[in-house]
Amino acid sequence: MLLEGWRDFAGQSEGIATTELGQYLLNGISQGCVYILLASGLTLVLGILNVPNFAQGHLYMVAAYLGFYMVMSYGMSYWLALVLTTFAMGVLGQVIYGLVFYRMRSAPEVNLFVAAMALLMVLEGIALYFFGASTKWFLIPFTRRVITFAGLAIPLQRLIIIVGTLVVMVLLELFIKKTTVGAALEATAQHREGAMLCGIKVTQISAVAFIIGTGLAGIAGMLIGPAVLLEPTMGMGPLLVAFSAIIFGGLGSISGSVLGAFILGLVESLASGYVSAKYSLIFVFGIMILMLLFRPKGLFGREVWRP
Amino acid sequence: METIRTLFSPKAVAWVLVLIAAIAVPPLVGGYVTSMLVLIAIWTIMCFSMNLIFGYTGQLSLGHAAFLGIGAYAFSLITVKLHVGFWPAFFIAIAFTGIIAFLVGIPALKLRGPYFILVTLGFAVIVGVIVLGWIDLTGGANGLFGIPRPNPIPLPGGATLRFDSLLSMYYFILFFVVLIGVFCHRLVHSMIGRRFIAISYNENLTESLGINTMSQKLLSFTISAILAGIAGVLYATYNAVISPELTHFARGMDVVAYLIVGGAGTMAGPIVGTMVLMAVPEVLQVLPYLKTLINGIILMLFILFLPNGIIGWFNANLGRLLKTRRAVHGPA
Amino acid sequence: MALLEVTGLTKFFGGLAAVSELDFDIQPGELLSMIGPNGAGRTTLFNLLTGFYKPTSGTITFNGVNIIGCKPYQVTRHGMGRTFQLTSIFKQSTVLENVMIGKSLHASVGVWGSVLRTPATRREEQRTRERAREILSFVGLGDKENRIAGGLTEEAQKRLSISMALATEPKLLLLDEPTGGVNLEEISGLIELVGKIRKSGTSICLIEHKMRMVMSISDRIVVLNYGKKIAEGTPKEVANNAEVIRAYLGARYAA
Repeated sequence: MLLEGWRDFAGQSEGIATTELGQYLLNGISQGCVYILLASGLTLVLGILNVPNFAQGHLYMVAAYLGFYMVMSYGMSYWLALVLTTFAMGVLGQVIYGLVFYRMRSAPEVNLFVAAMALLMVLEGIALYFFGASTKWFLIPFTRRVITFAGLAIPLQRLIIIVGTLVVMVLLELFIKKTTVGAALEATAQHREGAMLCGIKVTQISAVAFIIGTGLAGIAGMLIGPAVLLEPTMGMGPLLVAFSAIIFGGLGSISGSVLGAFILGLVESLASGYVSAKYSLIFVFGIMILMLLFRPKGLFGREVWRP
Repeated sequence: METIRTLFSPKAVAWVLVLIAAIAVPPLVGGYVTSMLVLIAIWTIMCFSMNLIFGYTGQLSLGHAAFLGIGAYAFSLITVKLHVGFWPAFFIAIAFTGIIAFLVGIPALKLRGPYFILVTLGFAVIVGVIVLGWIDLTGGANGLFGIPRPNPIPLPGGATLRFDSLLSMYYFILFFVVLIGVFCHRLVHSMIGRRFIAISYNENLTESLGINTMSQKLLSFTISAILAGIAGVLYATYNAVISPELTHFARGMDVVAYLIVGGAGTMAGPIVGTMVLMAVPEVLQVLPYLKTLINGIILMLFILFLPNGIIGWFNANLGRLLKTRRAVHGPA
Repeated sequence: MALLEVTGLTKFFGGLAAVSELDFDIQPGELLSMIGPNGAGRTTLFNLLTGFYKPTSGTITFNGVNIIGCKPYQVTRHGMGRTFQLTSIFKQSTVLENVMIGKSLHASVGVWGSVLRTPATRREEQRTRERAREILSFVGLGDKENRIAGGLTEEAQKRLSISMALATEPKLLLLDEPTGGVNLEEISGLIELVGKIRKSGTSICLIEHKMRMVMSISDRIVVLNYGKKIAEGTPKEVANNAEVIRAYLGARYAA
């Protein structure tokens, strides 16, 4: 079903690994990176547009499929496809923002949530129509290769995910801290009215934020796609975990989301290995629910969300 | 006290006409249309359920599909595997659904806005995982079958009311639609309903007026989950077979679409929305896998341009003629 | 015994002390005004008193009961009502419905009673409606009960928000800038209302900017600046206080 899609098929490495725990920890790290990639797009849009983009998982899915067709059907090089897909997703983000979220900028909050949900439905419908419901295997030369070291095995694609996430995080950090647009983003996220008073065009910044969000989904799709099975519902599970990471790490705290994503990635991997792959998501959710019950603020959160 | 004017108001007359049509039409049309109407009726109940928690209390729960599934599976397991009778099983199943909803609601309703939506969505996904994965209990992807119909009811005069036919099941389910419709109407127009609506407009203000918003939200959530459970039981007994597809979160989103298109926060909205979004694709012979896409596009168009739905638009523009209930969403 | 007693109340937001070591009390039947420059921490104080924020340290005792940790609705049930700086009413409901919600906390109604329309439930609803009407006429909105709240004038909306708080039958009413955004001619009407409320036995804590109003109706005044109390006393005492003058007008005028 929807969870099998993103299960690590490094089953082929099981015979090689000598440390079970080490292997699960390594898987957990790469899984955590997956969630970091998704969570960063979510946090940006949530902070600036105040919209929880439920469709982020499906955007990631669309990107993975796009890349799949570029590489598998048109024989494009993986790296070129990565760039093109990210670009295409950015354009898609601009279109979605212009058609939907820009129009709804003064609508009641609930309506925006529903719009995000409608977007999810549309993307799922499009995916079902164009790509069909059967699963596909995004095969590129990297996908097959497995790297072994210190008794642990990791598919090369998973390593690319980890490295890619680091690169993306560093680039994002530089962008936000060193560019004027980045500063405008931070300002708007902290205090919308204040930013407006400073002459920042909030609608333009919102568009930028949304485009970066979809772009990140694009990168995620291309990095993670070759490591998992492609199917139309592949984005749902990771989306929920990414949101759980944001809640777990604490609302309003980026470092919290990153830490949360890591922890949940590890939890999922350990649960998957030691208990069962089928039910690993329940453990992830269980941790989030426990956090909500005992410390609704999350790990590093500030005040609990009040409008 | 209902005055004579209220009883004969245009609105009341309209409802009576609709009821008469609902009763009279199915015997006249074929089995195909009637079976469509049965499904529409079941999903209308589901829509009433969403209307209570979302339309009137302002909490968008995407997990209610799970409650329908829990109701259906609980009922089916109790009747099929434990051979419990129909009515005891019915009540046990919906009580069980209510209890689960209560337990889920306690942590979930502590959250506001998008975080509540996510937790309920997560709950729906988890229920889906369990239903699919616990093969021994639920039959996994194969589902459960052999779910019984209600027991024949002996009537005064010697005849018995049997539920073997499609038509009998239709009236059985229609009975519940009317019952639940009246229940919701009464609840929403009471003091409790006013509290729900206040919470949907401004939760902080409502709380500062001394109302325990958490307990009210929990009440609304639990009641609406029980209604969803009833829909699940009715589906199970009608269809005789259930599968995990029933608990897929996308079903919950479809219901939200029906509600918004019909008009959230109105009494007629759920009926109109469900009817339009379920019947029209059938009439146009739309391929099943396009349904999600079409529902999504229609929902998007409505939320952009007609967020109050069909009935909401109706109320706003013809409000002077009829005694109206204001819509919950859209510009003030 | 004081109706409200606050000692050492402090609230930090990150590194910023919005309220710092605040001590004051409110006696039954008195009207205490909180004044101070913008940002002095007055609305934060109200949020702390009503349970919307949790204090970093200090005590809040209302009617002999420690109310720190109480949720806002519990504080209201203890007898502390409140209005908001940004007029908070249910704009899409009628005036009467608004006040009925305010009164609703006293109505004991159940689901089955509501759905079956039992006589007991209908009595409760009728009682709530009647009491709401009484409050509306007390406040001067009796003739507007079926108007949609959002269509009222700013002044009428302020009256409505006050009547909603009154419906909760408070012993202490916290009014946050009740004359904000109201015309000069209409202010005297609101001042009259505040006086009327006080005469009926409800103690009042008022946040206001309009000095003439504050000086004329307050029994005592507490002056805040940067979250700290800098003066307290009768209107006359406060008006002549050097610290106060310095805070409002700058050091040049203090001497």
